[in-house]
Amino acid sequence: MDRISILSELKKVLAPYTENKEQLDGINENTDLIKDLKINSANLVDIIIDAESQYNIEIDFDAAEKMYNVGNCIDVISEKLNKTA
Amino acid sequence: MKSAGNDIVALNAIDIQRTVSPAFYSKFIIPEELELYGQPQFAPVPFQNFVWLLWSVKESAYKYLQRHQADLIFSPAKFIIQNVTVPKEKIIAQTTVWESDTVDEQFYTGEVTFGTHQLYFRSKCTPQFIASVVNDEPGFDGVYWGVSAIEQPDHENQSKQVRGFLLTKLISVLSADDLYIGKSPSGYPIIIHGEKQSGVLVSLAHHDRFVAYSFFKA
Repeated sequence: MDRISILSELKKVLAPYTENKEQLDGINENTDLIKDLKINSANLVDIIIDAESQYNIEIDFDAAEKMYNVGNCIDVISEKLNKTA
Repeated sequence: MKSAGNDIVALNAIDIQRTVSPAFYSKFIIPEELELYGQPQFAPVPFQNFVWLLWSVKESAYKYLQRHQADLIFSPAKFIIQNVTVPKEKIIAQTTVWESDTVDEQFYTGEVTFGTHQLYFRSKCTPQFIASVVNDEPGFDGVYWGVSAIEQPDHENQSKQVRGFLLTKLISVLSADDLYIGKSPSGYPIIIHGEKQSGVLVSLAHHDRFVAYSFFKA
C-alpha cells in the first residue's frame, strides 16, 4: 500500500475524532493531530487502536509515541504493513 | 523547575468497553502500574476510572515537562506512576487552591517519574470527571487548580470557556485586568500582561463538558 492510499484510509480512522471535517479533507503529512485537527489527546489511543484494526497491524509503545502527526502515522503504518507483507 | 500541567477526562465521554480492553490500556499502562489497581485505595474504583486516572496523570506530567522541553514527545508508557495514596481532604485544601463546585469526590496523590524527572500529582475523581494536576514538589504550595462544567462541548466553546475561566481567576489572583492568553511557538498557553509575557505558567485542559486550568503563583 503506498503512502497516498494509507493517507486516504487514515482519514477514515481520524474522522470520528475531529469536528473539523474541512481540515480533515485537506490534511497532509505535516498535519498535527492535536494542534491542527483539534483532536482531544484522550482519543490518541483510540486512533492507534482503530489504525491497528483498519490495517490489521500491531502498534507497540515505541511506534505509538511517534503518531502525533499525519506523516509519522503513515511512516508507522507503512513500516508495520511492510513487516507483515 | 516550576511549570504547570493538568488534564481532565469527562467520564460520560469515554468508551467503557474499549477502556477495559487490554489492547487499549496496555498502550500506556505498564504491568507495574497495573498492579496498583489491586491496592486497597482502589477497591471502590471501577477499572475504567483507574485507567483514565493514570492517563490524566501522565498527560499532566507531560504538559509540565513540555514547558521546559518544547520538543518533548508524549510517550505515556514512559511516565511511570507509583506510590498512590488517598490523602485526607484537609491536606489538599490547605496546600492547593482548588476551585470546583462538586461534592461527591475522592482525591488521590502520588508520584510520577519520567526518566530522571520526579514529579508529584494530585487527582480528583468524581462520578462526572477525573482531573489531575502535577507539581515538582509534593506540597503544591501556590498551585491553583480549577474545574468547571460548560454547556456546549464543541472545541470552539471549550477553548473559549477554559480561557475565560482561567482569566477570571488570574485577574483576581494577580490583581491585574490587562491580561490575555497567547500561545507559545510550541503551542502551549502563555499569559501576556500588558505587552510582556507574564512569569505565571499556566496549563489548560478540556474534555466534553468540562474545562480545567492550573497555574503556579508564588
